[in-house]
Amino acid sequence: MEDIRAYIESGILELYVLGDVSPAEKQQVDDAASKYPEVKAELDAIETAMESYALVQAIEPSEQQRDRVLNSLLVNLGDDRTFTKGRAHSDIDDKIIPMQPRTGINFYKYAFAACLFLLLVSIAALVSIYNRLQQSNELISSLQDQNQRFSSQVNLMDEQISVFRDPSFRFIKLKGTPKTPASAITVAWSPSKKKVMIDMADLKLPENDQQHQYQLWAIVAGKPVDLGLFDAKTKSDTSGMKEMKSVEAPQAFAVTLEPRGGSVNPTMEAMIVMSAI
Amino acid sequence: MQAVSRRPKISLTEEELIRGLRHREKLAAEALYDMYSASLYGVILRIINDEPSAEDVLQETFIKIWQSFSAYSAEKGRLFTWMVNIARNLAIDKVRSKDFKNQTKNQELENNVTFIDEQRNTVYKPELLGLKDLVQTLKPEQRSILDLVYFKGYTHVEAADELGVPLGTVKTRLRMAIQQLRKQF
Repeated sequence: MEDIRAYIESGILELYVLGDVSPAEKQQVDDAASKYPEVKAELDAIETAMESYALVQAIEPSEQQRDRVLNSLLVNLGDDRTFTKGRAHSDIDDKIIPMQPRTGINFYKYAFAACLFLLLVSIAALVSIYNRLQQSNELISSLQDQNQRFSSQVNLMDEQISVFRDPSFRFIKLKGTPKTPASAITVAWSPSKKKVMIDMADLKLPENDQQHQYQLWAIVAGKPVDLGLFDAKTKSDTSGMKEMKSVEAPQAFAVTLEPRGGSVNPTMEAMIVMSAI
Repeated sequence: MQAVSRRPKISLTEEELIRGLRHREKLAAEALYDMYSASLYGVILRIINDEPSAEDVLQETFIKIWQSFSAYSAEKGRLFTWMVNIARNLAIDKVRSKDFKNQTKNQELENNVTFIDEQRNTVYKPELLGLKDLVQTLKPEQRSILDLVYFKGYTHVEAADELGVPLGTVKTRLRMAIQQLRKQF
């Protein structure tokens, strides 16, 4: 009994009421209070005194506080303060771990993924369109090429037709010499325009090798005059009329086979065709 | 001195109140507020000394009481003791928080005059006259120890350090102060 008296007098019960005891001391006081009615009564008296002390210095909060507080109790789900603040002093709900808001992070994650996806799609589209553009460009350039070929061919043919239509042209058939009886070419000559042309399509000459070329001559006043070089191919030649050097008043035309690059004077032994006018 | 037209206050016995709070009844919440808001607010304001912040803490206190009411058990003591400790802890946390310290610094700069006026008003509040008389009966050393522990949140160990007295003396003085209060009521 003396022990209880001393326990009460020690001041531990006051500290208990003020919340200033360790968990072990708290347990001790709880046990003592349930065991000894004197301790319980003493605790009650201390609590009542502190409650009265608070009551004496009570201050009415302003009238609107009542609604504010009661609203936050009865519909307090919307009040962040209910949940977010951690309290170092509290011993009641310290274990509450606030949830981390993750929606923001998720949003950026998805946005980034979407951006990446769009980027890949764009790159793929770009590559495919670039390929098609290349193909189109190739097609256009090949068409342009063809177009140019056609138009130049048309020009050439126009020119040839104009030669055939021009009444001033005379067509001279050069026949083979006894050495080359199968050879023959056609030379077109316009005395008024002083133009000489060879019909390449009508060439009947053996094909020349890399070292030799055919040379066309005109005999003017008994002397041979160089009218230019040409090649003969067995394949059908599409180059049409080939214009040679101009000449005035020729007496005859002749073709000789000369070393590549031509000669100043014709090699008479190598004469292939000839014709007088 | 308060507003004249007041709504009638709801009052229940402690047993009825506790039962109502357990069942989370609206009436119990209203009774809780009507019965204890003034006492709790007095303690909170005494600690914080700033009305807007004290009102915030009062709200937090009631929210916490309401939400963790299952943690209270009547065998462990009076309801008020449990509640006032929640209020004191919240208020002391508030005073020690960085926010609050910054806020009061700002007030010193911006609102100097009115802030000081408010403080003076608090000191001369008529409701506190009774308290002043009461506190006069306490010896100065009893008052200072009660202030440190009850209103400043010191543990008795810290208070012994602050006052430069042995731990046993702090406990004795605290007990004497409360004994003195008990005689008054």
